[in-house]
Amino acid sequence: MARKYELVYVVSPDATDTQVADLHTQVEQIAERLGGKIEKTDNWGRRKLAYEIGRHKEGTYVVETIDGGGELMKEIDRRLKVSDLIIRHLAVRIDEEQSVVERRRTTRTEASRRRRVARGLPPDRQPGEGQRGEVEDDDRFDMGEVER
Amino acid sequence: MNGRKGSGGGGRGRSGQGGQQGKDGQRRPMFRRRKVCKFCADKIDDINYKDTKLLMPFVPERAKILPRRISGTCAMHQRKLRTAIMRARQLALIPYTAE
Repeated sequence: MARKYELVYVVSPDATDTQVADLHTQVEQIAERLGGKIEKTDNWGRRKLAYEIGRHKEGTYVVETIDGGGELMKEIDRRLKVSDLIIRHLAVRIDEEQSVVERRRTTRTEASRRRRVARGLPPDRQPGEGQRGEVEDDDRFDMGEVER
Repeated sequence: MNGRKGSGGGGRGRSGQGGQQGKDGQRRPMFRRRKVCKFCADKIDDINYKDTKLLMPFVPERAKILPRRISGTCAMHQRKLRTAIMRARQLALIPYTAE
């Protein structure tokens, strides 16, 4: 069964664009070699880190969605650990989570559509419709009760 | 109405007068708005670790995870929030501590 993983790695800010691209092709090659494939890549570019890692204050974030098995991820993990340019990486499995989210979303929209049709309304919400506090920002989030 | 954390006055106000509290609402000194889970209310299904904007309100100043009793998040979403925050921390998207 195909699994889907999401891999995020943070490349050192000293790395040039070609080096970043190089890393990407490296990952791609490993994936291909072990019978997986990269579904999507997203380069966030340079971002400030929330805390210093080593001496770095910034990093280039790259997100990849990978189709493949656990063996493949193990290998990628190993390779990324060894690489000097990569200061952090994280791989998580996302297919299960995704299907759950999707299922929940569809059941919710279906239920609301059904209810709306039962009330004799068009199935989708019209502009300008909706409950009062939905649009305006209410104080749901004011944290006035926090005691410090 | 009396949700899990609503009615903060429930325990205290009871001591003095005997039988007839609760009728005219004197028992409760202050009205507290009932807290609602943000994720349930906004119908956010996916609490993703990459979505810093979503997570940041739950890690105030000291960068600790905001407890459920304050944020009002439901148990399921608090759990998801926690994993998301921990993942985001690993990637330095969110701080572990305030310096």
